[in-house]
Amino acid sequence: MKIGLECHVQLPTKSKMFCSCPTEDTEIPNSHVCPTCLGMPGSRPVLNRDVLKYGIMIAKMLNCEINETTWFARKTYFYPDMSKSVQITQYDNPIGERGVYYLNGKKPIRITRIHIEEDPGKTKRTADLTSLIDYNRSGIPLAEIVTEPDIATPAEAREFLTQMIGDIKHLLDIPNELEWTVKCDCNISVGVERVEVKNVNGMKHAEKALHAEMIRQIAMIKAKKKILRETRRYDPERDVTIGVRVKEFEDQYGYIDEPDLGIYHIKDLSDSIVIKESPQNMTLRLADQYKIDAKMAKQLVSTSVELAKLFEKVSRDLGTPNAVKWVAGPVSANWRVFEERDPTLDSEKIVEIIKGFNDGKITDTQCTIEIKSFMTGVDAAAVQGDSAGLDSMIEKFLDENPKIVADYQKNDKAANQVIGFVMKQTGGRYSSAEVVEAAKRLIEARF
Amino acid sequence: MTMNDTMKDLKAINAKYLMFHAMTDDTDAGDAKFLFSTKDNLTSNDMETCAGSRILEGYRPAFDADCIAKLRKAGGKLVGKCNMDEFGFGTFSTNSGFEIPRNPFDLERACGGSSGGSACAASVIEDHVSLGVSTGGSISCPASFCGVYGLTPTYGRVSRFGLIDYGNSLDKIGVISQKATDLKKYMTVIAGKDERDPTSMVQPEFRTAYRKMKSVAVPKEGIEGLSKEVEATFKKALEQLIAMGVDVDYVDMPSLKYAMPAYYVLATSEASTNLARYVGMRYGHQEGDHSLKFDDYFTSVRSKYFGDEAKRRILLGTFTRMAGFGGRHYAKAREVRQVIIKDYKSILETHDAVLAPTMPFTAPRFDEISKMSALDSYKADYLTVPANIAGIPHMSVPCGYDSNGMPVGMQFVADHWNEDILFSIAEDWEKQFDLRRPEVSI
Amino acid sequence: MDVKTVKDVAKFAHIELTDEELEKYCKDLSDIMEYFELLNEAPECNERGVNPILVEDILRDDIPKVEYDSDALLRDMDTYERYVRGPRLS
Repeated sequence: MKIGLECHVQLPTKSKMFCSCPTEDTEIPNSHVCPTCLGMPGSRPVLNRDVLKYGIMIAKMLNCEINETTWFARKTYFYPDMSKSVQITQYDNPIGERGVYYLNGKKPIRITRIHIEEDPGKTKRTADLTSLIDYNRSGIPLAEIVTEPDIATPAEAREFLTQMIGDIKHLLDIPNELEWTVKCDCNISVGVERVEVKNVNGMKHAEKALHAEMIRQIAMIKAKKKILRETRRYDPERDVTIGVRVKEFEDQYGYIDEPDLGIYHIKDLSDSIVIKESPQNMTLRLADQYKIDAKMAKQLVSTSVELAKLFEKVSRDLGTPNAVKWVAGPVSANWRVFEERDPTLDSEKIVEIIKGFNDGKITDTQCTIEIKSFMTGVDAAAVQGDSAGLDSMIEKFLDENPKIVADYQKNDKAANQVIGFVMKQTGGRYSSAEVVEAAKRLIEARF
Repeated sequence: MTMNDTMKDLKAINAKYLMFHAMTDDTDAGDAKFLFSTKDNLTSNDMETCAGSRILEGYRPAFDADCIAKLRKAGGKLVGKCNMDEFGFGTFSTNSGFEIPRNPFDLERACGGSSGGSACAASVIEDHVSLGVSTGGSISCPASFCGVYGLTPTYGRVSRFGLIDYGNSLDKIGVISQKATDLKKYMTVIAGKDERDPTSMVQPEFRTAYRKMKSVAVPKEGIEGLSKEVEATFKKALEQLIAMGVDVDYVDMPSLKYAMPAYYVLATSEASTNLARYVGMRYGHQEGDHSLKFDDYFTSVRSKYFGDEAKRRILLGTFTRMAGFGGRHYAKAREVRQVIIKDYKSILETHDAVLAPTMPFTAPRFDEISKMSALDSYKADYLTVPANIAGIPHMSVPCGYDSNGMPVGMQFVADHWNEDILFSIAEDWEKQFDLRRPEVSI
Repeated sequence: MDVKTVKDVAKFAHIELTDEELEKYCKDLSDIMEYFELLNEAPECNERGVNPILVEDILRDDIPKVEYDSDALLRDMDTYERYVRGPRLS
């Protein structure tokens, strides 16, 4: 089975791609509009520098070759939400081509191209089926990322999208809590002929749409029916794909150059941009560089890139064993509280506490208590009481169930029994991260 | 005649010559320093703007075109928006969705196109300047037919903000007037960078200092297919130029013959995308039957309100840009443009300008035009399209009259950004040329 | 250029033609395209130009601005509760 995706991702600019209208959300229809994004006769586009910049950043993240010169093209298609009946997009010489992106750091997914283009407006249906259009979205910048058919399963497609969107959010400093959607055209062939499922919204639907289409194609092959090369759409309610009648020539857009914008020499701009390491690449590097378990590396990075950076610092200054013992341990367990409590707190203090332990000035237990006290803001005596209570509860449970220690050595999921017990007993007094940390620490101490 | 006298006569003048699609109701000039009009494809926030097309009826732009704003700021009063071929699609202004302007020298004849109303206004109204727009010769042609001066500057010299597009890689806004000196005066106002039009942002300084034209090259391909009277008038003009101290050389420019097809492919390809936005929503006619499916709704509005030539050019442009219909015409035409630019540049290294008659014949009668095929009228543009496809500045200068008293024009073509030398030769020419004004009785 | 092609092009361009028009445009476009075959004889050129002059690297800073009163822009539009009204989607 071969799956290839065309993914559309919004770029986080403050103003639209070709006009200065704000991109921020508004409840009022057609309020962030101007002659340009309404396509009014006499209006003209001017390109937003940051759209080019973000496009290049993503192209670099996807390891694409960046073209020295790039320009725009007009794609003509008629639809009520397309204010000019023309979309300004890229055809030849897009920003980047021939890239490769590694799924889970291992599997290469080839990237055909990445280009930038404008979004159309939003269409609403009325009771009498006529349309109502809000052009606030018209002209919002998008990146379109096209992959080769290197994806093996619908689940892998979702994995690819989740990882890529996560990396793009990190790359472009899009706040984690902001939902960032992706729209896909999904190409899938189980046998020989390729079918395109157009306009699928979100990663979950992409997986489901591909799955539904896969099942359909397998059934067709079993029934010895011919699969047609066609365009379909996904109906999430019925969980099936439906053929759409495509008129002859409809898949042709008669691209021509966009002469209102000219050309862009992006070599220098591209050379001047140094992109941040993606979370995915950081995970791989941590595991490799510090010889730590891939799971631990992933846990550190997915908790926070800042936590992973602290791990690197402690590892550099005080040795990797200290980083593993403390940063991946109690520091990680308390990180969320620490971040939410007061963003001005300096994690340098944590390094100092660990240094105290390393220098033999404080004991193992004292170090745990000081870290937790500093990070949560609870005073040391209370922490001591709490953690003593937690520790003794776990110790007691382990004494009663010695098999857990042996099981844990085979599969660390065995720790879940402890966690489940404590959570039930204490009714959420300790955070799950804290309980996990304590359980693992105490089990491992019994090896 | 004072400006206020002119203002009082405007309605009557328009009734006779039909140059305006929309015009002011004012009968005095207020504190204006000068009166001007523009082709109706330039947006004005106080007058309907239709670009000669019925599909745009009722379009009241929320903004002034950059050039109109600049003229107003300089003290100009906009008195009218001039009739034109629909979206600029024509050579005679007969493809207008509204009125067809009449030639000031003979009401039975055309003004030329597509800026026909503008050339007519410049010819008929005293002390008047009118803005035209040229895609393939739409300033030179009517200037020549109406016996006035018309300058088409370098592509990108005047901001196209507020211009209703025909072909975005070809459209240029310029000036038409009875006086050569006016062209420089008003071009100085409207030229310059505008952040709202990227193609205006790369221009060098606009030079206006006098620079004598010393030599011109006459391409042999530019004096083929002329009417006898145009040929004779042009030859006489060449003699006059020699007498003024200008060297005249004959040269070969074989690439000129490819300009016409290349121009029509590029222009209509771009036009067919520009006109895709007119679907009966947002502006112009919006009263169609919304219960139709969108494809059918769009089709019904477009079929009803686009004129014959607009439909022809949409079909032609759609065909030439769609690889699926078997042509690679668009890519080839784009290549030919580069060939023509190179040929001009090589000749302009050794000559100050390239010179030929503006049009191969003088203003035809309306009955003659109605007998022409589409291809015939495209072919009539063969002298004006080469400079236009190359985006180089050119000026049509009145150079004589035929036996019917109809004006003949010649067209000087200079290198990119060299408008200065065109102003200079036109002003030198003006001093010794006996310009005839049409008899305007109302 | 045959009638079928003109029909397809017209459909794509959202123009409806009567039989009479179809015949007329077919003849006109055939004549025109036949003449345009001349382009095939034109010399080759490897240079690629989007515009007749070089327009390069014209960009705008990412600063949001509201430059037009949206009510004025909607003034002549057929709207319903500020939405632009359009035809049926299907």
